Amino acid sequence: MSDKNKSLTVFKTDRHEDIAAIVFSGLIVVVVLTYMAFIVPTVNIKVPLDGKLVEIFVTEGSDVAKGDKLYALEIVKKKWVNNEMQEKVVVEEFTAKTSGKILKVSGNSGDDLKKGKHTVVVMDHQKGTLP
Amino acid sequence: MKILLALDDRPRAVEEALRLARERGAILNALFVVDATWERFTGHDWLSGCNARIGFLDYMLTLEEKAAAEAAKAYLAKAAGAPGELLTVTGDVVGEILKEAANGYDLVVMSNPFTRGLEIMRDAVAKVVRKCPCDVYLVAEQDRVKL
Amino acid sequence: MEDKGLFGKILAILPGLAVMIGTLYVLRMYVEPWMKDAVVFGRKGWLVQVMSLNYILLSIITGMVYRNILFGGAIPGWAEEGFRTTRLFIKTGVIMLGSLYTFDKLLKVGGVAITLIVAFVFGSVIFVLWLGKRMGADRSVTAAMAAACGVCGVSAAVATAPGVRAKPVDLAMAIATILGFGIMTMFISPFIGKALSLSDYQFGAWVGTGILNSGQVLATCLAFNPVFAPGTAVAYGEIWNVVRVICIPFVVFFITAWYWKGEAEAEHVSLSSVLASKFPIFVIGFVGMTALSSLHVLGAEGSETLQLMREVMAWIFGIGLVGLGAYIDVREIKAAGGIPLRIGLIAGATKYVLALIIILAFIPKEGAF
Repeated sequence: MSDKNKSLTVFKTDRHEDIAAIVFSGLIVVVVLTYMAFIVPTVNIKVPLDGKLVEIFVTEGSDVAKGDKLYALEIVKKKWVNNEMQEKVVVEEFTAKTSGKILKVSGNSGDDLKKGKHTVVVMDHQKGTLP
Repeated sequence: MKILLALDDRPRAVEEALRLARERGAILNALFVVDATWERFTGHDWLSGCNARIGFLDYMLTLEEKAAAEAAKAYLAKAAGAPGELLTVTGDVVGEILKEAANGYDLVVMSNPFTRGLEIMRDAVAKVVRKCPCDVYLVAEQDRVKL
Repeated sequence: MEDKGLFGKILAILPGLAVMIGTLYVLRMYVEPWMKDAVVFGRKGWLVQVMSLNYILLSIITGMVYRNILFGGAIPGWAEEGFRTTRLFIKTGVIMLGSLYTFDKLLKVGGVAITLIVAFVFGSVIFVLWLGKRMGADRSVTAAMAAACGVCGVSAAVATAPGVRAKPVDLAMAIATILGFGIMTMFISPFIGKALSLSDYQFGAWVGTGILNSGQVLATCLAFNPVFAPGTAVAYGEIWNVVRVICIPFVVFFITAWYWKGEAEAEHVSLSSVLASKFPIFVIGFVGMTALSSLHVLGAEGSETLQLMREVMAWIFGIGLVGLGAYIDVREIKAAGGIPLRIGLIAGATKYVLALIIILAFIPKEGAF
């Protein structure tokens, strides 16, 4: 390969770029998983969908195990059925993805919560697990 | 007087530059720029994997070098005996013309439109005319009908 | 060129990279939230809901503004090295998209994707080879356009060019045509998708099949629905994209073999050598990420870990797309012409419309996952 071409890209060839992208994405995964498993001091559990908070099943200071119910949210579920968009109001229960201790309960029943913005509970999760 | 001829694949600019140089007793330097901007031109293509893109750039460089050799042969055949030299550089076509034009030339001669490398997709003439430190003589593709 | 060493190279990357990251930060933190609340034509959020202007399209538009207006047509030297990391960011984002699937989900959609893509890829290739002959086009330009219109646009043209001895003028015109068509469809497809009430599944399948330049498929899907999650347009579009990318070496082989068959001095072409030099290795990273997701290593669906992972993915894509926009020169696209433009417009429009008809007729709105 000519010297001119070597200077044309950040990486020598697309093959290097492909491998760098694989390494980079692997690195991002490792950093995110390590951070969430070991470093993050507390976990803010936010609602994954817009909805109304119906019930909170945990109290401050209580211990939860993986799979325990945390809160219930009334959401509008949209689904295509037979090429028609069906909207149904359902109450969905959300569970703990890992064991830990509830440090704070931020929401109240009846609150309208926005996806990714509002925290329902703050949790100290068991280190080494992914919340 | 010192004239710079920016070479592309149009023979008329060469003939005009040689005529001017002869009439004025000027030194005529011809500049061929090997276009090295194909990497930039295809910079939006992120999907190419393995050696596809670098293989393509290598291929384009080979074609550019072949074009440089052919242009040199054609120019030297016409300009035999004329004072001046043939310069070949690699880079951005307009950038290299302007860089060379800054070396004390009185006139730059080039085709209009200018068709060297990827300049077929860009407006080299406008950029050279705007930024050139000396006069620019634009040579049309075909002889105009004389009134 | 002087050798700057590793530290020097990293330093050279920083200014351009800082511009890309800073731009995305402003777009995501200030511009997009403002647009969601802005009242235009008496409607709140008109810019987002009607114009489909989310941070993805804004990133590309801002990059284009940098290149074409602010930088006066060329990325300045101080930013050039940083902007060259664009492809690394987008490829990394594509690999990380693998985390949206598990193998059983891929299998559910894979059959439909492969059937549609193989039919459209080879259908387009054969159509363009016929069209080129009918228009009396040079065999090399017909071959490059067949690859470009058939599979992945610019990437396929670039991969095919050396093998079919394509001429620089034709290639420049072909690339400008394909890119121009891709950008146009990137902006109009979300409108059409919303006007026809396409579901995410249908939209992903349509643009994955019908858009000429694969480079714009993901951006178009994200313009339609900017959410990174299973079942969204980008999740479906990416499956189509990956299948298309895998097709590149096979299409290159097919077209190169066609080209040399018609030449007096035949050159031997082998599929293994084409695969070795053209197979996009980053696809292996995508499959690896799907494997991790299938093994539930990346956290449970709905977990904060996956949320963070997808947020990082959105940033990685956004940074890459600012850079991508900065590599789009409107003047170069406007210079497109000749046979490549005519072939590109006919083949591109046919493929785009035909794909939409097929999707509406055969693909249900209900997504497979």
